[in-house]
Amino acid sequence: MDAIFELKNINLYYGQTQAIKGIDMTIERNKVTAFIGPSGCGKSTFIRILNRMNDLIPECKIDGNIEFEGQNAYAKDYDVIELRTKVGMVFQKPNPFPMSIYDNIAYGPRCQGVKNKAQLDEIVEQSLRRSALWDEVKDRMKESAMGLSGGQQQRLCIARTIAMEPEVILMDEPTSALDPIATQKIEDLIVELKELYTIVIVTHNMQQAARISDNTAFFMLGELIEFGATDKLFATPQNPKTEEYITGRFG
Amino acid sequence: MISIRDVVTKENIKRKNTIDGVTQAIFMASAILSASFIVLIIVFIAFKGLSPFLLNYEGYNFQQGTVDLDPVNPISFLTGSQWLGGTLGLSSDYGIGFAIINTLIVVFLAIMLSVPVSVFTALFIAKVAPKRLANVMRTVVELLASIPSIIYGVFGLGIITQFVVFVAGFFDYQTAAGLSLLSTVIVLSIMILPTITAVSETSIRSVDKTIIDGSLALGASDIQTYMKVVLTAAKSGIFAGIILGVGRALGEATAVALVSGNLFAGIQLNPLGTTATLTSRMLLGIKDTTGIDYDIRFSIGLVLMAVIVITNLSLNFVMKRLGGIHEQ
Ligand SMILES: Nc1ncnc2c1ncn2[C@@H]1O[C@H](COP(=O)(O)OP(=O)(O)O)[C@@H](O)[C@H]1O
Ligand SMILES: [Mg+2]
Repeated sequence: MDAIFELKNINLYYGQTQAIKGIDMTIERNKVTAFIGPSGCGKSTFIRILNRMNDLIPECKIDGNIEFEGQNAYAKDYDVIELRTKVGMVFQKPNPFPMSIYDNIAYGPRCQGVKNKAQLDEIVEQSLRRSALWDEVKDRMKESAMGLSGGQQQRLCIARTIAMEPEVILMDEPTSALDPIATQKIEDLIVELKELYTIVIVTHNMQQAARISDNTAFFMLGELIEFGATDKLFATPQNPKTEEYITGRFG
Repeated sequence: MISIRDVVTKENIKRKNTIDGVTQAIFMASAILSASFIVLIIVFIAFKGLSPFLLNYEGYNFQQGTVDLDPVNPISFLTGSQWLGGTLGLSSDYGIGFAIINTLIVVFLAIMLSVPVSVFTALFIAKVAPKRLANVMRTVVELLASIPSIIYGVFGLGIITQFVVFVAGFFDYQTAAGLSLLSTVIVLSIMILPTITAVSETSIRSVDKTIIDGSLALGASDIQTYMKVVLTAAKSGIFAGIILGVGRALGEATAVALVSGNLFAGIQLNPLGTTATLTSRMLLGIKDTTGIDYDIRFSIGLVLMAVIVITNLSLNFVMKRLGGIHEQ
């Protein structure tokens, strides 16, 4: 097994409240890992550990050992900007920038200093092709991204992340704001993208986890209750709490 | 215990309707009153302001004594590069074209000076400063906005003009006691700073946090996020602040009159030279409250209102073209 993230004994506190309680987890490269669990159990908190988005919350404290590609991602000399260019993130609510479609995709590369027009054009086209949005937007690159539908906006956000050529794409309930058809498109896309990237996805939808993920982690009250291959976890859950949750007797 | 059904009687409903009707009538009357004031003011200014172009006034000049003056020529009034030409005393040779241009120059420069400072201050208050410092600064900005313009004027007269004299010293330049284009621009830009800052700050603060997270998650630095995403998202609010600032700057009379030097003729491009705006031309040099030299001030008032309306409309147009396309 090829691990990309290796997490050991992770504890996270918001002020006095402990939101993550002693979690160990190994995330496999080029696989889809799903996080499931009742709302408020710490799925978002945990996924945000992976690209250090919790750094932005002042009262948030974390301890434990987080290795990304064999290096301590929380070490003093580990650059958080480098981490975030390698570990991209797609959010619950589509959050395109109030700019043109083109500028949205070119934003990340430009922030790293890419100025060459031809190079940017290529990055933009490739990212949009990979996120299955190219045909829909190729004639309206200069138009505002705000004019796209919700599903298109979310695929634009995926394209924006892909433009950085990340190793990992984190997705926090990426389809919860979308209709079933748009959701279907994103799920298809995730299955395609897994060839190229490691994907970690939070979902409140267990069918979604079962359909698209290779491994599933079940969280409750800040603890990791069960973690393993998705088909096994859903077919023969080892922990009674997991069984309760996936059979719908809970949450 | 009383049931609500005992209260909802035909009688009570009728009384409630009567009160509603009366209240509505009061609203209506207030609206009509304030609207009629506006109409009254416009009619009065238009009546006074148009008279110099239509009537023959009596003038007095030192060579010929009392003379009959021709009506002011509206074209040469609007395009003239001299306030009063040639005669010693009263004539109908008024021109304010130069003052229109000087007004636009002054306001443009004040905006250029004020906008970067305001926007960075707003960004600092909204995003960078710790909460307590931000609250203090926000209060300071509000206080600055409420300082009357005469105070800015005397501050300009006492401090800024001295600063200009000091600067001019390096160039061996003799200013009119520091009364100058530069002083006017500095005083005006200080005056509009709080307006632009306050409006920009509100709009920067209300930028959706999710797009800020989106930018940071792509590996953008804080500064890149502020400059590229936050300012872009707050663009229309910042522009609204600028429009308010332009309005205030165009209409500002007291402070400007104190430091401009009230130039009589010509377009001033030398920062150390005196200048004149429409407002300073309007305010300064009034001797009588009748006659052409008084009524012509109302004509300037009409021109000023037109300049303000036109500037406002064009800025709004530009704003729609530049910023509006990304509104949802
Ligand atoms: N910024 C925060 N400050 C304080 N508490 C938080 C913050 N974010 C989340 N929490 C708390 O941490 C717990 C886990 O939240 P979260 O990770 O958002 O759960 P989930 O994504 O599984 O719904 C919840 O009890 C929530 O109230
Ligand atoms: Mg969540």
